[in-house]
Amino acid sequence: MNTEPIWKSWFARHGAKLLLFARQQSRRPDEAEDLLQEAFVRIWRLYGHTGEVSPGLVYRAIRRLAIDWARSIDRRQIRENKVALDSPLSFCFERTLEQDERKQALLRAVERLPDQQKEVVTLKIWGELTFDEIARILDESLNTVASRYRYALQKLKDWVPEEMEGKKEDSSTAS
Amino acid sequence: MNEFEKLEAELKELRPLPPSEGFTSSLEIALGDAGKVAIRCLPDEDSLEQKKSARTMSAYPSKLLSFPRMAVFAGLTGLALASVWAILLYLSSSLVPEIPVESNHSEPLLFVQSTDIESAIPISDDPDSPLHGLSLDQIQDISVMPVSGWLDPQINERLLRMVDEGIFQQPGGLPARRVRHYFMDETLWSHPASDTRILSTTPREEVILIELETY
Repeated sequence: MNTEPIWKSWFARHGAKLLLFARQQSRRPDEAEDLLQEAFVRIWRLYGHTGEVSPGLVYRAIRRLAIDWARSIDRRQIRENKVALDSPLSFCFERTLEQDERKQALLRAVERLPDQQKEVVTLKIWGELTFDEIARILDESLNTVASRYRYALQKLKDWVPEEMEGKKEDSSTAS
Repeated sequence: MNEFEKLEAELKELRPLPPSEGFTSSLEIALGDAGKVAIRCLPDEDSLEQKKSARTMSAYPSKLLSFPRMAVFAGLTGLALASVWAILLYLSSSLVPEIPVESNHSEPLLFVQSTDIESAIPISDDPDSPLHGLSLDQIQDISVMPVSGWLDPQINERLLRMVDEGIFQQPGGLPARRVRHYFMDETLWSHPASDTRILSTTPREEVILIELETY
């Protein structure tokens, strides 16, 4: 009889969302994987025997680890030195969107959001979490989280046309 | 929030990239035993085939197939009794001193039995036989089981249940979670010529210690 560790199917379901959040928290792809690995292993060692782990626990662990790592002087220096190498958010998504100008503009707009709003949008849209879960992950009140989300969407609505116009202007200047 | 529905739908259409296979492999290494604690069984072709063949075979009206354990038990019991009997007879015939008997008595009963058994089960030295003093043919006759022609045994491991025994302190001072797995190991021997199957089951326990980090 074949057996498969449950974590594999669990990770296949949640891995992409967690990695996106880890990338956003760490801002560097290589550090994001380390962050996700560390957080996932810690949580799975504690609760993996139950066979089902709430993704919220891993999101929370990622965030706390990211804060801890950011406090480390060495890592901060590395971050400061390599800010230029930070990959844009579009590299964290499937490449099919390269054809769609509006979607690219949408991602550029998401990238412009303040960090606090960006993480709420990420957890809500791609993490598929409720406001209550997000509030617990971020150690914020439900109202704060919901407000940040609303403000973020309002900004995106305003900025996407700007981004599209900007792109058009850039391309016309280049030609 | 209705004004943002279209925007949300557009955002949801964007799919984040899944982690690479290399990353998943390194995650598996990092997890170690903790990754093997919770497992699920996948149906494979062999087990499906086995179930199918078991269903087909159970349709035959053979008592041996219906009660393979009983047949094996009866065979082994018969074999053991015969061996004990043969040894006892051998010892009694060689160690018991000859007793003078009266002329009007017939031969001692013991001697009569010994002769009968020896004629029925002659002691032989068959190097291939697993039992000393009995040849393979004799074993086959006594146990009513074929000796040769068995296929390679099919071994199957079945997870019965998993018990989390909680966190305890290791001698080194680090806490660890102890998880006990209960397995049933099954071995199936098949003899196609006689349409016989023997299933042996052995319970097994496995204890996994998952070291926990204190942070």
